[in-house]
This record gives sequence, structure tokens and C-alpha cells, in this order.
Amino acid sequence: MRTDVEGKQFMGFCKRLWFVLVFGLVLWGIQGHRDTTLAAPFDSGEDAASLQLSMAGHELVQTARLDEETAKASVSEGKAASKAEKPSEEPEDSEEWPEDELSEESFIPDPLEPMNRAFFAFNDAAYFWFFKPVGKGYSVVMPEVLRFSIRNFFTNLSMPIRLVSSLLQGKIKSVGMILVRFVVNSSAGFLGFQDVAKQALDYPVQDEDLGQVLAFYGIGPGFYLNLPFLGAGSLRDTVGWVGGLYLNPLDYIVEEFWFNMGARAFDMTNKTSLRIGEYEALKDASLDPYVAMRDAYFQYRLNQIEK
Amino acid sequence: MMEKHRIWPYLRSLFGGVLLVLMFAVPCFAGVPTDGIKETTDRILAIVSDPALKGPENKNKRGQLIRTTVDERFNWEAMTKRSLSRHWRKRTEAERKEFITLFGKLLERTYLDKVGSYSGEKVIYVDETIDGKYGTVTAKILTRSETEVLVLYRLKNTNGEWRVYDISIEGISLVNNYRKQFNSIILRSSYDELVRKLRKKVAEKD
Repeated sequence: MRTDVEGKQFMGFCKRLWFVLVFGLVLWGIQGHRDTTLAAPFDSGEDAASLQLSMAGHELVQTARLDEETAKASVSEGKAASKAEKPSEEPEDSEEWPEDELSEESFIPDPLEPMNRAFFAFNDAAYFWFFKPVGKGYSVVMPEVLRFSIRNFFTNLSMPIRLVSSLLQGKIKSVGMILVRFVVNSSAGFLGFQDVAKQALDYPVQDEDLGQVLAFYGIGPGFYLNLPFLGAGSLRDTVGWVGGLYLNPLDYIVEEFWFNMGARAFDMTNKTSLRIGEYEALKDASLDPYVAMRDAYFQYRLNQIEK
Repeated sequence: MMEKHRIWPYLRSLFGGVLLVLMFAVPCFAGVPTDGIKETTDRILAIVSDPALKGPENKNKRGQLIRTTVDERFNWEAMTKRSLSRHWRKRTEAERKEFITLFGKLLERTYLDKVGSYSGEKVIYVDETIDGKYGTVTAKILTRSETEVLVLYRLKNTNGEWRVYDISIEGISLVNNYRKQFNSIILRSSYDELVRKLRKKVAEKD
């Protein structure tokens, strides 16, 4: 009995710690960078010079300036077009691209880049030195079919997060799908080990989380936040993720601390074993994996939120 | 690693996997975008699963075949131009040529590395749109773990040939992603540094 209480207290403590961490980061971000990217990064004029000097706003400000220059240049080119000052490739250069793609030219502020990069390096090392070997060892012992089933089980278990998130966004269709999925998979799918709903009804997992709810109510991403073990995220999504911890039934079913941790570690190892190669693919194909990840995350969330 | 979102399967497909599904081209080619992609894809799958081309000793031959196929389907120039975007303008003709070759190679190589790990993904073509010179083809990839990955190919019609200039998965566009990387590197250091990095990356894979 005593251990139960202790375990609960410890979990509560961990979550509180996360909140403190997140809010600390917010304060730090606002304090340290009030006059750079979090303020209007596109301000030109005298501010621009001082902005450019600061490390954090460096890239964004320069990009903005470059864009400005390009815009000016193209205006003057347009005027001078008849004079044919530019070489022959010019018409092709100013070729129109489909509208929707041009609007994709946006990015997520990253005032904490040095810290994020440090954590990125940390996660990289943690993956190659710990998670990957463990996942590989695990996959030797555990046949793939079983690993898929275990993954399905944990996915099914975390249904409340998706349900609450869809409800809060008023996505009635998603709510229905999530409920049907849960009932079908928990019964016919043997406690969720089989994803029957996907196979038989073609009801896929609805990727909804509290970060998307916050976005639905008009809250912006804040800034990019790459945390140890958790990987890519934004301020908003991290807050959403912490909130989601309270909706995970695992903590209410398995209250004893070490069993709870054990279940989590098992879930994590299982997932890692199915993911080997994904991080390598990104790292292999990109010239700056950090920037590649940051942008991929940004585009991905934008797409999810729009859905 | 404990990730908050299910982004990784998509990233894997984007950086390698998709190209995998993508590559094959036939020299003479039908006018419809989907047919083109389908042909390319089928041919790549045929090369990959051809028993005569299996094994490490045939690696080069297989790579060569796939590369030719891919080259015919991809518009490397448009991809490069869009990835460099604002920096493209300032490059000389020679620099542009060099960059196109390097970038094309990088994408091809990352793809070729993955060919060996092909493991029976299924591809279904779901949708196609044409808007003047531009078109999109949507394909659904069913991975072995039953994850569905929707891939959007963006194509442009040049001289009657539909060629791919961008791929996106779950809203993540390959060209946009490289654009951010290129821009970041150029602003941090210089264009020369970017080319040096790119060359190193391509050489690594040889």
C-alpha cells in the first residue's frame, strides 16, 4: 500500500517537474530574446542592424532581409524587363509556380537554437549508444509480428488522449472513429493487440493530441523546442504533450512506480525496435540534420493541424 | 526514442523510401502523369526484384540501371532551382550545372542505399490532378507494419513529358526541406561551403 502512494507521488513529482521545466524555458526564451526573434523579426530600419548582430535572430533576420532585397530586385527587373538587361534565362526564372506552394515559405522561430542543437547531439548519441543497441537486441528475441501487436496494444490504450483531443476540436467524425476503433479493437482485437478496425473497417488511427487542440484555439507554436529523449517539438506541443500525460490510462492502471516505469520502458523499447533505420535515413540524406528535422517537424505539424 | 508524434515513419519514407517506390522510367513515355510514375515505379520494382541482378557483385549494374530510370523521371533542374530559390539567381551557369548534378546524385544515392532494404511495400495510386503545366499524383504506400503513407508527387510538363519536381509526405515537402537546409548553410557560412558539404556527402556514398 505504501509503495502505491509513493509511486503515485513520484509520478506526480515527475509531471510537476516537466511543468516547471517548460515554464522555465518560456521565461528564459522571453527574457533572453525579447528584442530578437520573438519580437517582430522582420522589422527593418535601425533595429535590423542590431538584430543581425544577435546570434539567435541571425538566420531568420538575414533571410527576411534577403527576401526584401529579392523583392526589390524583381520589382526593378520588372520595370526594366523591356530593356532586356538580364540574360536569356530570366523569363524561365520568374516562371510562375502553383500558388499553394509559394505560400509554404514559412518557418518556426528558433531562439533557443544553441540549446536545441546541444540536445539534438545528445539525442543522437543516446540513440546510437543506447536505444539502437537495446532495440536491436530486443528485436532478436521478439518476432516482428509480436512487436506490431504490442505496439497496437499501447496505441489502443492511449485512446483517451485522442478522444479528448478530437472532442475539444469538435471533430465529430474522428470521435466516432476513435470510439468504434476502441470498442472493436479491445474486444475483437484481443485487448487491442490486433488492429481489426483498420483491417476490416479501414478506420485508421486518428492522430490527435492536445497540441493540436491548442492550435485549434488559435495558439501559435511559440518556438522550436528540441528536448532530451523527447526529440523535436514546439513550445505549444510540449505543453500539450505534458497535458496528455494525465490522459494516459497507463498511470491509472499501473500505479506502482517501478511497474509503471517498466511498462513505459517496454513500450519504448518495442517502438524503438520498429523504428530502427528511420533516424539514420534522415541523417543520411540531409546536409544539416538539425535543420532538416526542425523543418520537417514544422511542416508536419502544420499539415496535421490543418486537417 | 520516446517521440511525441508519429513523424518518423513519414520521414523515413521521404528520405529514401519514397524514392524507392518511385524510380523507374521508360524512355518513350505516355502523356499522363500517373502512367509515367507508375511505369517508373514498376520498372524499379522489377529491377530490385530481378534475381539476375541480386547480390553484391551486381550492385553497380543494378545501381546504374536504377539511376538511368530515375534520371528520366525526375526534373533535377527544377528541384535544384526551387531548393536554392533566392540563391539560385546569384549563381553562374557553371555553378548551377554543378549543383544540379550534385543534388541529383545525393537524392539518387540516398535512394539507392535503401534499395537493398526493400521489403514488399504495396503502392496504390489514389488520385491525380492536372492544372495546366502542373500536376500532382497521389499514391498510397502500405508498409509492412500496415502504416499508410500518402505520397504526393508534384509534376511539371516540359515538352510533353511529366517529370517530378517535388515529393511530399504528410505535408512535408522534400524541396521545402532542402531549401531550409541550403538557406541555413549559405547564411551561416557561404555557398562554397554548401557545395563542399554536398560534395563530401555524395563522395561518402561512392
